[in-house]
Amino acid sequence: MTRFLATRALLLLVGLAVAAILIFFTLRVLPGDVALTIGGTQATPEQIAHIRRSLGLDQPVLVQFGDWVAGLLHGDLGQSLLTGVPVADDIGRALTVTLPLAGLSLVFGLAIGIPLGVVSAVRHRRFSGFAISAAAQAVAAIPIVFIGMLLAVGVGLYLRWLPVQGFPNAGWANPRRAFDSLILPALSIALVEGAVLLRFTRSAALEAMSQDFVRTAAAKGMTRTRALVTHGLPNVILSVVSVLGIQLAALLVGAVLVEVVFQLPGLGKALVDDVGNRDLVKVQGELLVITALILVVGFVVDVVHRLVDPRERQADGDLE
Amino acid sequence: MRTSKILLAAGLATVSAVTLAACTGGSTPTPVNTDATVNLGLVLAPTDLDIRTTAGAALNQALLDNVYQGLVTLDDSGKIVRDIAKSYTISPDGLTYDFTLNSGVTFSDGHALTADDVVSSLQDATKNKTTYVDASGLADVASVTAPDVGTVEVKLDKPNIETLWALAGRAGIVLEKGATNDLKTTALGTGPYTVAGFQANTSLTLDRNDNYWGTKAQVKEIVFHYYADTATAANAALSGDLQALLPVDPTQKAKFAGAQNLAIVQGDSTDKWTLGFNNTDPTLSKKDVRTAIREAIDPKAIIAAVGGAGLPLGGPIPTGDPGYQDLTSVDAYNAADAKAKFAAAGVTRLTLTIPTPYGTTISDILTSELNAVGVKLTVKQVDFNTWLSQVFIAGNYQLSIVDHVESHDFGTLWTNPKYYFHYDNAQVQSRYHQALASTTEGDEAKYLSQAAAIVSNDAAAEWLYQGVVLNVVSTSLKGLPVNNTNNRLNLANISVLGGQ
Repeated sequence: MTRFLATRALLLLVGLAVAAILIFFTLRVLPGDVALTIGGTQATPEQIAHIRRSLGLDQPVLVQFGDWVAGLLHGDLGQSLLTGVPVADDIGRALTVTLPLAGLSLVFGLAIGIPLGVVSAVRHRRFSGFAISAAAQAVAAIPIVFIGMLLAVGVGLYLRWLPVQGFPNAGWANPRRAFDSLILPALSIALVEGAVLLRFTRSAALEAMSQDFVRTAAAKGMTRTRALVTHGLPNVILSVVSVLGIQLAALLVGAVLVEVVFQLPGLGKALVDDVGNRDLVKVQGELLVITALILVVGFVVDVVHRLVDPRERQADGDLE
Repeated sequence: MRTSKILLAAGLATVSAVTLAACTGGSTPTPVNTDATVNLGLVLAPTDLDIRTTAGAALNQALLDNVYQGLVTLDDSGKIVRDIAKSYTISPDGLTYDFTLNSGVTFSDGHALTADDVVSSLQDATKNKTTYVDASGLADVASVTAPDVGTVEVKLDKPNIETLWALAGRAGIVLEKGATNDLKTTALGTGPYTVAGFQANTSLTLDRNDNYWGTKAQVKEIVFHYYADTATAANAALSGDLQALLPVDPTQKAKFAGAQNLAIVQGDSTDKWTLGFNNTDPTLSKKDVRTAIREAIDPKAIIAAVGGAGLPLGGPIPTGDPGYQDLTSVDAYNAADAKAKFAAAGVTRLTLTIPTPYGTTISDILTSELNAVGVKLTVKQVDFNTWLSQVFIAGNYQLSIVDHVESHDFGTLWTNPKYYFHYDNAQVQSRYHQALASTTEGDEAKYLSQAAAIVSNDAAAEWLYQGVVLNVVSTSLKGLPVNNTNNRLNLANISVLGGQ
């Protein structure tokens, strides 16, 4: 197990290092820079040159990269080129929106996907099972942004049950309003992600139902549903855990779109704004944090998978 | 019979007037909620708060008049009025400006303003006229001195009638001498509000300055919320999260039909939606080609497509700016003549490219109208920074659409051959300098209008329309400016009706 953890941790660090290089140099391909954002359409070439000098943008790219990496090694993501505020502070603030949003989306997605997936598998020969499966197929194809707009207008504007946009300036100091602000955005992501999870759960459940141990349990007098829930569900959960690791990336992409539609000051909206403004130091930090989140979740999923699946431990000789 | 009708009408009018007077006299005014927080929705977000070096209307809207003040400012009609200065005089030769300061002016940190603060700020702006935003308006300032603690004297090298206008903008704001606050994230001025919070691209909060030297603000707090998505902004206003949306996108206007407690208020702006021509492009350097393109475009169709939120313009100076004249008859829409002009210029199967940072509404119409006269238009959607890089700086383009929102920008756009239109006309430059050297507003307007006519007759660009401002405002919010709110937003006099 120790060797497994060490290997995975090393892979995580290598992944982050490669990501840092790719992020830095890929962003340099973007046309324009932050000096143009600051100068606007009335700026003279002298103004633009002055801004570039003052921000160090006239330095060679490799020097800028070296400065950034040196900062990273000391745990410093740098400072925003526009506001001068430490990037880590801005990201920390944004994560107080994005992480709860992702968490809530995950809870909603699981609450939708797993039970309905199991039901559609158990009833796969009936109309209700087919209907659930077909609906999931359709919902998974709808863009998250469109679902978000529908929910904002329907639930927010007409029914007036929940806020249509925004997040309190006081943040979680106003917990009720903060939580309410995340419900519709989380549902927008969860409906699509839940539909995807439903399909995976359904496949895993159907496979489990055809396994000998489930059929044996059914032969011994259990109903097929009870046999699946009692004996097959751990296998289903194992498949879902694997998929969750991949789905987290989709969840974060969903958060980027949904944060713009619902005007949430999270990491996704910041990323869109900062790319538009070419505040590349912030963009680098944001992309690196998102990459790290995905890699860490992948790492955790691997570990959890190993802990709950005795076959993997046995294969490596961890299980006596 | 006729006499009796007149008598009856007179009687009714008298009764109505007396009743109205009685009602007015007897009713108590609706109370104002001095603890109110006003939530405003805006489109352009400030990236930081540096009023000196960061360009853009977003900072003007948030900070000018509200946090920072100058010797003079602009009223809602765009007229220059006194602010920190109690009075001012301009010498007949236009070379000396004397300002007498109001007494008792203080910064929000309690520091009393003196002439030294004004001198220091204006000298700083003059010294940095090539790097501070709009400070080039002080190009002809020779000296700024303080004859005494309550007076400031500005001397010019040569007359420049636009100096006072520059002083009413960013170049003229007064900062506290010796203050060391970080301008990127904080703001310290003499205005009726102070900056209480700033989240870049998301929100900016202003609190009432309880030490304000003038009439104190009637609301406790103002929160600017910035929306990248126009539909989200409209939903926020409809849901009651905002007391005003400045402006509402014309395509969202229909949502507000019948909305309770919300009104759409239309005001003037100096927005010039401009189809820019690269005047040095081999094809577009031919005047006949530029003229033909202008004639192929029907501004009325474009105005209709943007929800009627515009007025035909026809030239480089908008209504409200000195030198405006109606130039809509120059190269007016005439598709048949446009075709003939292309043929006469020997131009066939012309293909033009246009990068645009805006949606497809305008470019779709341009594509269709130019196609009707045999020109193929290739539209390239780019983000604004890419537009700045490729068009504004590199000049690598043929046609371009941009909304030039700034007022008094004729000199910047049309007298500098290095500006991205690359328009170079000695006559225009000469008229403009004559306008600047004028000592009366009448002379300034005369020379500017002559210069504008030359630019329009040269078909240096096509002015698609002059924008109007459409704001959604709650009926309980009073005192909000009406005109040019997309460039400046003086909130000193707003109030919210309702109990405490």
